[in-house]
Amino acid sequence: MISVKHLKKSFGDLEVLKDINVDIGQKEVVVVIGPSGSGKSTFLRCLNLIESITNGTVSIDGVELTDKKVDINKLRAEVGMVFQQFNLFPHKTVLENITLPIVTVKKESKQDAEKKAKDLLQKVGLLDKADAYPESLSGGQKQRVAIARALGMEPKVMLFDEPTSALDPEMVGEVLGVMKQLAEEGMTMVVVTHEMGFAKEVGDCVIFMDEGYVVEEKEPKQLFENPQHERTKAFLSKIL
Amino acid sequence: MDFRFDIIVEYFPFFMEGMGLTILMSVVGVLMGCILGFFIALGKMSPILIVRLPFIWYINFLRGTPLLVQLFLFHYAVLPTLLGSTTPVISVMVTLSLNSSAYVAEIFRAGLQSIDKGQAEAAHSLGMNKFQVMRHVLLPQAFKRSIPPLGNEFIVLLKDSSLGAMIAAQELLYWGRAASGQYLRVWEPYLMVALVYLVLTLSLTYLLNYLERRFDVK
Ligand SMILES: Nc1ncnc2c1ncn2[C@@H]1O[C@H](COP(=O)(O)OP(=O)(O)OP(=O)(O)O)[C@@H](O)[C@H]1O
Ligand SMILES: [Mg+2]
Repeated sequence: MISVKHLKKSFGDLEVLKDINVDIGQKEVVVVIGPSGSGKSTFLRCLNLIESITNGTVSIDGVELTDKKVDINKLRAEVGMVFQQFNLFPHKTVLENITLPIVTVKKESKQDAEKKAKDLLQKVGLLDKADAYPESLSGGQKQRVAIARALGMEPKVMLFDEPTSALDPEMVGEVLGVMKQLAEEGMTMVVVTHEMGFAKEVGDCVIFMDEGYVVEEKEPKQLFENPQHERTKAFLSKIL
Repeated sequence: MDFRFDIIVEYFPFFMEGMGLTILMSVVGVLMGCILGFFIALGKMSPILIVRLPFIWYINFLRGTPLLVQLFLFHYAVLPTLLGSTTPVISVMVTLSLNSSAYVAEIFRAGLQSIDKGQAEAAHSLGMNKFQVMRHVLLPQAFKRSIPPLGNEFIVLLKDSSLGAMIAAQELLYWGRAASGQYLRVWEPYLMVALVYLVLTLSLTYLLNYLERRFDVK
């Protein structure tokens, strides 16, 4: 589904990603962990070209991202992204947040978009908030709306960049619950998170990144219980 | 000191006419300023230096030289050269439009740049193109933030339109000077003119506060 080969990314002189090679199969849930500044967000952002790729290749569902002819907007519509800071549109209601991209990008009618948006809100348990503005929602609710908004584009892949890091502890569960449900429905997901419980329970594979490299890549149980590299051990001992 | 109300009464219709022109010139100035200012803001935010440069200097010139100098320049030099002839009212409207476009451009630019980068990123990540992101996500938010400074700009413009009297545009101050010249009186006409400006700016302030509240409710 996703194939990353020799991916490199630099900001000016600073090389942030130094030769990343990863293959992610359909319906796979990959959890990315690693210390701050190791390049996790940058890696994720390269997958939907929010960050340009300096070198190497990334292909998603057969589409080569570095191909000059690739329709970036079409690709992005097929790769959903959920941010740490939610990034809901504050001037739009919850329902409008979800319908806006469906109407503008997918060119669906307003009625169809609203129906779809309501189904999605139902799914994340927020149908009663359809007409509320984001500022009146709690962090956990905002993130669930953000997930619903991304799902409205019917993406083939969902990327999550620390989706629960900005939440109060009591709200982490509701967001992880929605993500777990998504995984069970067969969504291909790449998740940057420090929630090791989620990684163990839902993840098919955990990638440990450090200083722009993938240091270790294993099944969650193996990685957590039997890390091979010193750096993985050091990192795990700090967070577990 | 005697106060000759009869001068004010006699000139009242002219003051009202002048006030109409003052309002018209300011409204044209602020509307054209907004339209031009929008494109100038976009130009000044271009990632390409060569594109950016003319906009930077457009703004520098219009903000860095006195409005009265600009008015003389347009009325006596630029417009007659470009159009063959001009009238005082046209010169004032053109000068006010261009001058306010420079200030409005900076207001819009500040508004757009104050929007969190995550907004554009999220919109792009949903597959929206640059135009759609601008139209549906950035501009509505930037515009809302621009309302208070735009209101201030409107008030400044309304007062600055009085410079039109220097080239005999028949706006409010023009009639004050006319009355003063005819009766050789200074208190009555200029106090009256000041009072009308005050009524205009205060009404505008109330209107703008009302609009700000309305837009805050979303
Ligand atoms: N737009 C940018 N310009 C310059 N440097 C950047 C930019 N974005 C990220 N970096 C740098 O790239 C490195 C990796 O950043 P990245 O955000 O990918 O790390 P991360 O693993 O997600 O960290 P965190 O856990 O703190 O989110 C950091 O050193 C960061 O300062
Ligand atoms: Mg990060």
